[in-house]
Parts: sequence; C-alpha cells; structure tokens
Amino acid sequence: MKKIYLHPLPVRVWHWINALSFLLLIVTGLQIRYRDVFKLTSFKTAVDIHNILGFVLLFNFFIWLIYYLVSGKFNIYIPEFSLRSLIEGSIRQARYYGYGIFVGEENPHHSTPDNKFNPMQQMAYLNIMALFIPIQIATGLLMWDVKGFSQWTNLAGGIKIVDSVHVLLFLFFTSFLFVHVYLATLGHSTFAHIKAMFSGYEEEPEHGPSH
Amino acid sequence: MFRFYGGQVVKKGTYWNLSSGESIELEYEKVLPGNRQVRYLKVPTTGIFILGPISGLLFICLLPLMSLLIVITLLSRIAVASDALKSDEAAMCMGCHSTQGVVKTFKNKEKVSVYIEESHFKNTVHGFLTCTSCHSTVSMDNHPSAQYASKKEFATQLSKACKTCHSNEQVLARPIHKQAITRANAPPCSDCHGSHSISKVSGGKETASNSQYCLTCHKKDLNLSMKGETLSLTIDETILRKSVHGNHNCSDCHTQFSKKEHPLKTFGSKRELSISVAGVCKGCHPEKYKQYQGSIHSNMLMQGNLNAPVCTDCHGAHSVGHKELVETISGVPCRKCHEATFEAYKSSVHGQAKINGKNNAPICSSCHSAHEMRPALASRSPRATCMGCHRNAAELHKEWLPNSGIHLEAVACTACHVPDAERRVYLRVTDSDSGENISKARVKQFLGANYESLTLAKANGIEDQQLWDMYQKLGDSGTKMNLTGTLGLNDCNQSHMLAPKGKALKQCDKCHDADSKSFKAVSMAIITPNGHEERYNVNPAVLGSMFSILPLNQFYALGGTRIKILDIIGILMVVGGMSVPIVHITLRILTSPIREARRLNKLRKEGRR
Repeated sequence: MKKIYLHPLPVRVWHWINALSFLLLIVTGLQIRYRDVFKLTSFKTAVDIHNILGFVLLFNFFIWLIYYLVSGKFNIYIPEFSLRSLIEGSIRQARYYGYGIFVGEENPHHSTPDNKFNPMQQMAYLNIMALFIPIQIATGLLMWDVKGFSQWTNLAGGIKIVDSVHVLLFLFFTSFLFVHVYLATLGHSTFAHIKAMFSGYEEEPEHGPSH
Repeated sequence: MFRFYGGQVVKKGTYWNLSSGESIELEYEKVLPGNRQVRYLKVPTTGIFILGPISGLLFICLLPLMSLLIVITLLSRIAVASDALKSDEAAMCMGCHSTQGVVKTFKNKEKVSVYIEESHFKNTVHGFLTCTSCHSTVSMDNHPSAQYASKKEFATQLSKACKTCHSNEQVLARPIHKQAITRANAPPCSDCHGSHSISKVSGGKETASNSQYCLTCHKKDLNLSMKGETLSLTIDETILRKSVHGNHNCSDCHTQFSKKEHPLKTFGSKRELSISVAGVCKGCHPEKYKQYQGSIHSNMLMQGNLNAPVCTDCHGAHSVGHKELVETISGVPCRKCHEATFEAYKSSVHGQAKINGKNNAPICSSCHSAHEMRPALASRSPRATCMGCHRNAAELHKEWLPNSGIHLEAVACTACHVPDAERRVYLRVTDSDSGENISKARVKQFLGANYESLTLAKANGIEDQQLWDMYQKLGDSGTKMNLTGTLGLNDCNQSHMLAPKGKALKQCDKCHDADSKSFKAVSMAIITPNGHEERYNVNPAVLGSMFSILPLNQFYALGGTRIKILDIIGILMVVGGMSVPIVHITLRILTSPIREARRLNKLRKEGRR
C-alpha cells in the first residue's frame, strides 16, 4: 500500500467547511422556500442561518481560490487544451463508470497531486468552482440586500430571475451532492477517498492504481 | 227809499224778501205778500248793472286774501276736530286692545294676540294714523267679526291696506320688493316690516350696516322653493357672528347682492346654489382654491358629480369655524361622506389617541391633506405619509427585519400594521425605465381590442398569458412594461384601523409561506388621468407563473410566491441525482458475478504463470 499526499491541509479544511455549509444551506434553503412543507425552524431563523452560512461559503471560496492561485496548482482543474484528448479522456472515463466498473476493469485515471482529477471531474469542478459557486454567491448576495444591490438585480433582469437562478443552482448542487458522495465511495475501499479527505493521504494498493 | 214791508202796495219792479231770500218780480202795482215784519228790498235794475262789475272786481282782488284767511281759519279747526276724533277712536279701540291675553282664533285654530302696546305704535312711522286707517272694515260704530281662514290670510288681507298709501310704483322701486312681492305666494308686507311696530325702513336701514340691512328680512323665517326643494334663507345671526367671518358684510360673499341690488336668481337645486356660492371663497383664499383645484374632490365636481364637496361642505356656509374645529374628532367634516372610513379610523391607534385628548394625534387631513386631497391609492404604500411623522421607522425596521428596505418599498405599512385585515397584492402598470405609471390611454392604445378582453371580468381574473401578451405588445411599441407589486389591504377602509405598534405583524411566516393568505387576492391597477385607479382582478396563480418572470420581475416573496415550474424541475433534478447511485449500485450488484468470474480467471492465469 503506497500513500500519496493528495489533499493538503488548506484543501481539506476548505472541503469540510464547504461540505457542512452546503448541507446546512440546503436544509435552510429548503426551509425558506418550502415552509409549507417543512417546519423545522421559523422563517426568520432559517433566513438568519442561511445568510451567515452564505458568508461562510463566500470566505471559504476565497480560501480555496487563494490557495490554488498561490500554490500554483490551479491547473489540476484545467482540462487538457487538446479537444481530442479531452473527449477521448472523457469517453474513457465515462466508459469506465458505465461499463468497465461493472466488469472489474481498472479506473483509467490515477490521481497524483499534480493530476488529481479525471477529465470529467475537471470539467465538472471547473464549472462548479469557477462558475456555479460564484454565481450562487453573487445571486445570494443580491438577495441578501435586495434594496442595496437593486441596480445589479435589475441588470440581471429582476429579483425573480436572480432568485430563479439561485434556486436552479441550489437544485443542481443538491442533486450533485448525491452523485458526489456516491462517487467518493468508489475508491479501492468504500471509505478510502473519504478517509483521504480527512488525512490528506490517498492509499493506493501496491499492485495497481486506485480507482 | 228802497225798503218796503209786507202788505204795502208797491209799483212794478223786483223786490227781494230779506227774510226768506226769495225775489219777487211784480209786473204791475201790487200788494207785497206777508205782514209788516216781512221786509223787502227793491233792487233797482240800473243799480245792479253798476254794482255787479264793481263787486266782481272787488271779489277778485280780495280772493287770495280771503282764501288764505279761510285756509288758516279752517285748517286749525279741522286739525283740532281730527285729533279729537283720533283720540276718541283710539281710546275706544284700546279700551279692549290694551288688555293682555285677548286672542283671536282663526278658522284653522291658529291664534293671534290682539293686544296692542300703544306706546310702540305711537313711536312708529305710522304713529299719526288711526286704527281704522288700516283696519278699514272696523269703525267706531261697527266692529265686524272678520272670519279669516288663517293667520297668513289675515296678514295678507290686511296688507292690502298698505297699498292705499304706498303706491305700487313706490313699492316696486325697491329691488328687493320687486323680487319679493311679485311672486304668486308673496309674503304679506307685515312679514318683513312688522305690523304695529313698523319702523322707518328708508331712514333706519339705509344707515345700518350691510349685514343688518340684509338680516332685516333674512333673520325671519324665509324659504326659497326650487323644483320640489325648499331652501331656508333664514340666517341665525348668533351663528354668523360667532364664525370667523363674523365681521364680514353679507355682500362680501354674496357679491351680487347689496342694499340696491337683489337679483332674482334661479337654480336647478339647492346643491347647484351651494356650488355656485362656494366659488366666492377663492376671492380671499386663492391659494387654498388652487390646492383644491387639483384635488380628487374638484376632479369629481368637474366630471359632473354634484355630490363632490365644495368649500362650504366642509367649512360650513355662515358658520365657518376656525381651522382647529375641523380637526377635532367631533368636528371633522370628512365623516359626512366617509362614515365607514371614519369609524375605522376611530378604532385605530390614531383615533383612540385623538379621542383621549392627544391633540397632535393625526386626523383625516393629517395624512390625506385637506384642500389638495389626492386619492389614496390601494396600490401604493402610504409609506411617505406615515414616515412624515414616524421619521425613524426605517431605522427601527432595519434592526430586526431582513431586507427592510425592500419590505418598506413593496409592502404597504398597513399590510403589517393592520394585523387582522385581509391582504391583497396590487400590480401597478408602470414603465420600467422611468418608474412612472403607464396611462390607461396608452395601455388602451397599444392593446386595442385586447384591452377590453383583458379587462372583461373573468372567473379567475386576468391570466398570466394575458399579462405576457400585454408585456410583449407594449414592448413592441417601445415601452418596457413592469408590474410594480405592492402588498396592501383588500379593503381600503381597513387601512385606517392601524393597531398599536406592539400588535403589528412581525411573523415573517405570515407571508413567506406558499399557504399564506397574503397572495390569494391579486389586482392589476391602472391609474386614470384624474388620479384614480381602475382595478382588475388577476388570477393569483400569476404570481408563481413562469410567464410573470419578466412582466412582474420586481415582486417576489421568498416561499410565498415561488415559481411553480422550478419545483417540478427541482424534483426531477433531485430524483435524477438520487437515482445515479441507486441505479449504479444496483448494476454493480447485478454485475458482481461477472467481476468475480473475471477475478478468478485472472488468478487462475497468474497461478499458471
């Protein structure tokens, strides 16, 4: 069993703060939007918690951004510039999840600190980190102070559009969470990737690369 | 020579019997009739011819002197006789009429006192007349028991006596008479002038003030009939004097009337008269009149609504009071027309404060203003008005209310501060660039026949598709429409029932919940040129419709008015997300024999090696 130091401390701290915030934001978000269905807290409490966690997420985003910019490891998120190899890599990875994994093939991707994500992960996380999270934070901010940011809100097409975007992304994140957690269990053992996210070290069997 | 006696034989000639005055013509010598006591005078013919002209001349010369002597002598004798007569007559009449309590009963059972205070009569302009000068049917010998139907008939009949001295020309020379006595039911003279106490109008009244002159008649019981209505023309002088205009002359306001002029005016109704007279106020209060001109009340009047209030409806006519009077709970004039609203106000925190003596507590005009009254629009929050007094309201809300700024903008103060009222969402048609209302005419112009179909009452109200069409049609014409939403109250009267601060709604859940009642009633409001708003029912489903994302992009309550289609997308996404691991795990379980076989196969291969 060889150990690869895959997740540096700032990344692990960022990840778990993110995870907790996401869960609570989803719960309070549901509480804000569907009060007629869930009645866990009062609307006001849900809004207050949601606002605080929104800012936690905002600052957390900057931990991530600054770490990757400073460490120069941002390129782990950048897919290959060659469209051909990107498509090939994606198809290879999709083939693995859709077929190879069932017949006992090995994961075509081997995580190293410099090449952490497979091409599908790269595309997904780049979209999430560079587009969806900033948009979610921005729309959240616009709704946090509707009056103060009214000019920006109007520029975006009005509060209904801003809210709709926020809700659509919230639904996407909720939906993605299931896939994300499930994929995290597809390491060489069910909890291998999850353990690594705590310890920083991804264990990889000597005889072959990890999943 | 010329004197003869009866029984004396005389010659032919003319003899004048001095005793009887007869003249006897004898044509021959004859005995004069009668005894010696009867004296005769012979009138010589030549003598008559000479004396006749001389005495005639003398008579003519002395005639003026004689006349003068006769007049002086006789006049004094007549006057004495008349005085004697009058005092006799008066004494006789007053024998009975100076007794108090004597009454005459008319056929209709009306009673009138026949008691006369002699001294009153003596001092009147008619003091020189005798009783029968006017009561001509009564004489010293005869006192007929006149049978009159009523007091009025009695007065009318007796007034005819006035005409024996006061000719029609004399009477009609006065403008007021021209109007008063030429009518069919003209009042008898005594109605205005009194009967036994007639004072000298021409002397006394002309020097009196203008108001006193008018009040001579107008403090009496006067009525003006117009098309089935009766207008009292009686002025209570005490009320007039107490008013802020107490020192004004009548003609200051009734400008066409004076001591000399009393034009005959006709009005269709009492209301028309009131409206016409109220126009006079602007003479002294031009700035107030200008404010009134732009008001909803003035607009209503312009549109022909005669019930719209004019100056006198609020301030009174002759009883115009101080400003403070119309600002008291009992004196506020608005309640005359807005009773239900006033009752709602009375129960409010403002009304109760006023009732309990807090003089600075607001009353109708404090919020609605007085003369420049604009319509209070249900589709707009009264925020600016409320904050006129509650200056720190914005800061206080900020302390606890998330997004207080947008709440204060989109939620009418009343929506929370009248906690028990039913709420309604009002969507105002505005231009999204300028924020101004889009006029009804403009909406109509661009929607054409569609406007009518839009506004026709539908079971559920205007649908989302219709609003979307409207948005597009106006957009095609270059107007970016926006429906500016305000959460207000369903019933405007309830807006006045403001509760004490502690009872105001503070629970966000009252609105931020899809089950909230706040969004179950929706109206679209279009502001008409006169400042009113026309409201059309809108299907409340519009608030959560995808079609309203653009036309209604500014009105949104988290949880309360969420877009329904996003919920469906959400369920699909989450179910999709959840199904990935479920399907994948299932497939892994199903395919585990394959992997197991492959693993064994691989082990076998390695073993061989």
